[in-house]
Amino acid sequence: MLPNLKAQSKWSWLVAAYLFLAGLGGGAYVTGVVAGFRGDEWAPIAKIGVCLGFPCVAVGCIFLIRDLGSPGRFWRAGLRPGTSWIARGTIIISIFMVLAVIHAAVMLGPDGCCDLSGGAIKALGVAGVVFALGTMMYTGILLAAARPIAFWSTAMLPLLFLVSALSTGIMAVVLVAALAGTAHAGPIHELARADILLVILEMIVLAFYLQATHRVPESRASAQLVLAGSVAPLFWGGVVFLGLLAPLAIDLVGFGSTGGGAVACALLASVCGIIGGLILRQVVLSGGIHAPLRAGRFEIALPIV
Amino acid sequence: MPRYGFVIDLKRCFGCYSCQVACKAANHTPQGVDWARCVPAETGSYPSALRQMVPLVCQQCSEPACLTVCPTGATTQDENGIVQVDKDLCMGCKACIMACPYGARQTVEEWPTYFPDAGGDLDPYEEYAKSAWETKHGYGTATKCDYCMDRVEQGRQPACVESCPAKARTFGDLDDPESEISILIRRERGFQLNPEFGTDPSCYYLPPR
Repeated sequence: MLPNLKAQSKWSWLVAAYLFLAGLGGGAYVTGVVAGFRGDEWAPIAKIGVCLGFPCVAVGCIFLIRDLGSPGRFWRAGLRPGTSWIARGTIIISIFMVLAVIHAAVMLGPDGCCDLSGGAIKALGVAGVVFALGTMMYTGILLAAARPIAFWSTAMLPLLFLVSALSTGIMAVVLVAALAGTAHAGPIHELARADILLVILEMIVLAFYLQATHRVPESRASAQLVLAGSVAPLFWGGVVFLGLLAPLAIDLVGFGSTGGGAVACALLASVCGIIGGLILRQVVLSGGIHAPLRAGRFEIALPIV
Repeated sequence: MPRYGFVIDLKRCFGCYSCQVACKAANHTPQGVDWARCVPAETGSYPSALRQMVPLVCQQCSEPACLTVCPTGATTQDENGIVQVDKDLCMGCKACIMACPYGARQTVEEWPTYFPDAGGDLDPYEEYAKSAWETKHGYGTATKCDYCMDRVEQGRQPACVESCPAKARTFGDLDDPESEISILIRRERGFQLNPEFGTDPSCYYLPPR
């Protein structure tokens, strides 16, 4: 008989906000760097994407530091990279933030103040993208390192968070570009199309992620909690409807139209998708259930989680 | 050097919670923090249902999951196999709480009174316990059982072992093949909790019946 397993409560929404913002910042930066390799028409998009990288990740880190029991010692987080994924992730994110700040300074600074050749900027962008990808995947690996929580301890989670991070990153760029009004409609339209593919990919990865929960009782309990339990309204309403179906439908409507209508659709889809991305992190966190203690024939829910 | 371990005899425990209370008295743990615990378990269904009390303690794993995930270096394993947390190095990220399969790590934000109906102030004994807790562990950091190393160094037994009226808990050296716990584990087929996580606990359980 399975004991009454309870979800963890020690990692709160502050951690969800961090996972979300670190992913979004990395995704926006990658979008910006890729846009920078395109023509002049893409220059405003490149600037928005690159400049969103650092502030989003930095604000995310502030959320994470707020969650620490002893926030003043946050600087110790990177001291044991030999075994700890938090330490490795701290180093990856720190390097990303440094690269993103330099890149943003080069793009924003007046001509001549940061005189880097085109080749140097491209090299900076490529290095930044590597660490941005690391940052996005790390947000999943951080949770996957908790082996007793089978809902998290799967390679599907870094993949799910990576796809969601790229998708919300593009959406954040589209949102800022549409609000700022500096970008051309063409690139926004194209980003919205790319996002259609990413949202479909995210649906597939999410389905596989949930399918993989069948193997042990604790992750089946997690799936039960998320699909039909107390987290279900957040999952179906926030992740599936607001985060995936709504942006997909709105982007598909915008696919046929041109000009202002398409931009308005992309803007609306972005707002829905970004909120859905935040809710996805919260759903995964609140679905985390520890394995029961197994003492011979007896299975016991962990007394304190 | 010894490798300190526990043997917990499930046949003997009858669920009096002496271990839980003795641990609290010895370590001044606040409400919600119980390093030594006793939890009820059930298996099967009528007419062959079984109820069993399961005493718990930090398993002091040889391969501690809490140690590998600790990013700050606050968690260490001493030469006796005891996993320790340095309260001055821990930043309270709670990764160890997620990684420990045994729920051995707990964190707390305050030391509230046990008697809220008596006006809300701490009584003198609570004041003493609170200051002892703050000196040794503090708030926001991960805390855990250390098999009462301060008592063991004085030649005494861990508080939960000493208080158990049924002698369900035995403390000793796993590395000594002639120690009481080594003999018990061999003779009565001692087993470890959740071996699937590869943590190799130093705490063994003897089967119920």
